[in-house]
Amino acid sequence: MIIKSFPLVTILVLFISAFIMPLIKDGKLVKTISLASMFLGLILSLTTAFYVIKYGKFYYRIGHFSAPMGIEFYIGNIEAVMGILFTFVSLMIIWYSVYSIDREIISSKISLYYLLINILIGSLLGVIFTNDLFNAFVFIEVGTLASCGIIVVKDKKDNIKATLKYLIMSCLGSGLVLMGIAFIYSITGQLNITFIHKELLSVYHQYPRAILISLSLFTVGLGVKSAMFPLHTWLPDAHSSAPSSSSAILSALVLKAFVLLLIKVLYRAFGMDIITEFPVLNIILILGSVGMIMGSVFAIFQRQIKRVIAYSSVAQMGYVFLGIGLGTDLGVAIAVFHMVGHAVTKSALFLAVGAMIEKTGSKELKGLRGIGKEMPATSALFLLGALSMVGIPVLPGFASKWNLALASIEVDKILIIGIILVSSLLNAVYYFPIIINGFFGEENLKDKIYKSKSKPIKELLPIFCLIFAMIYAGFSSGSIINFIKNGIV
Amino acid sequence: MEALLTNYYEACSMILFGVGFAVLLLHSNLIKKIIGMNIMDTAIFLFFIAKGYIEKREAPIIVDVYKGVDAYINPVPSSLMLTGIVVAVSTTAFALALTVKLHEEYGTIELDEIMKMKGD
Repeated sequence: MIIKSFPLVTILVLFISAFIMPLIKDGKLVKTISLASMFLGLILSLTTAFYVIKYGKFYYRIGHFSAPMGIEFYIGNIEAVMGILFTFVSLMIIWYSVYSIDREIISSKISLYYLLINILIGSLLGVIFTNDLFNAFVFIEVGTLASCGIIVVKDKKDNIKATLKYLIMSCLGSGLVLMGIAFIYSITGQLNITFIHKELLSVYHQYPRAILISLSLFTVGLGVKSAMFPLHTWLPDAHSSAPSSSSAILSALVLKAFVLLLIKVLYRAFGMDIITEFPVLNIILILGSVGMIMGSVFAIFQRQIKRVIAYSSVAQMGYVFLGIGLGTDLGVAIAVFHMVGHAVTKSALFLAVGAMIEKTGSKELKGLRGIGKEMPATSALFLLGALSMVGIPVLPGFASKWNLALASIEVDKILIIGIILVSSLLNAVYYFPIIINGFFGEENLKDKIYKSKSKPIKELLPIFCLIFAMIYAGFSSGSIINFIKNGIV
Repeated sequence: MEALLTNYYEACSMILFGVGFAVLLLHSNLIKKIIGMNIMDTAIFLFFIAKGYIEKREAPIIVDVYKGVDAYINPVPSSLMLTGIVVAVSTTAFALALTVKLHEEYGTIELDEIMKMKGD
């Protein structure tokens, strides 16, 4: 079937179109190519998803070399959902950036910027689809360099500093991941996830120490890249100094791909039987819960709005790690669902904030008082996103918190419900002042002219689409979680 | 101790990995950090290639006659590390380029001094 090759075609289209861009000097044409390739990617992933729903999961052999020798793609339920999510969110972000990027970076770099974005999304899709650990490592490195590129493209002092910090931490992370792969290879002799699992089941009694070392190397290595709590130090600088479309991609997509690889390694390569014998899941659980609280606490003390949202990402990634750490199918399904919800919400928030910063010219929270009167539409979209982050019913933030609570009751860890509640309250503590100061207060609204700074409606359409997708994800949370749950192993 | 001596490749690569890791984390000079990163990567290459080496066998290059599958070492780790080296070289190049940029902007490559300065 030709549909089976669509995931590979998506990645190839993105990579090939990326390298055409620097040959073209015309900025508009470059934007069109980037949008068109991402749109094609979305259509291909939708087709793949329908195929998966109808005929179930499938493997795709690249170059028709069969499994242990050749590289394989594995497309199951999670991969189908993630394929749609990544292409959809990046399509919306690119759509937004078409109008705004000229004001953030110089015009000679625009074709390079879109080259980097296409390569980044292509490599992230590669990390998601691949069933081969070394292949995943190569895609991780490509993605890391590209994501450093989209931060440093602004060429300010802060950007270079943040990028170097990010690059050093990421190199540390990928070094650890490669070492983890080396340990697995030394005891199994395989790199394909399916075959590693088969081999490990027969040998894991003989090598408990090697497996423990490799598990921890993977957890720390991918934890650095996906901002697991004590390893998140690079994130606020990198996400707050980048252009707003880059921040949206970094926060919504880049973190998610690495967590998904961690899920694949833990639950597919090692498998439930092996990881439950080691303390790794409990450590992930604890770090996740600490991250949920501390990320929010740090966010409360920030003065710049982009840093608030960046720290909020740390807290939200805590939920994902909490779901992984529960060690049940439901927990992992919720972790993946939370990635979906967070990706659409956080990208909408970053884009809305980008619009506010662009119009008011102020990065500080103080400068955004009375924004609700000046930019009513943008602020309303921001409000909806913030409500989902806090966990108001129907929106996806609530759905994942509610289901996480149910899942933690299932494994007799009642304490987690308290942590979820505290974290939600803390979320409210830093999101609501922004909104309240934006919409209410005599002092705040004085001298502000209604709709004086509002953006044209066509520039807000991508944010609107993201918020719409968020509400849709909230309404159909039950069926999405079920769909994901059926495809974990 | 005996286990360390028999697996001296692995022991050596672990020591190198530790050295690289410590240099990467503890030094504030950016060039030293990048050197540490390279030592760490090289340690991984050594570890991986040592895993593919089988004693008294030759490199998997057929010169005149094919000597059968038992005559050659495992070629997979070596070829993987070829990719790994390319990746490491490109990250090093990128990091060095950023360091040059940073030196132009801040006039120093000590990371702790840079962190103290306020950006614009």
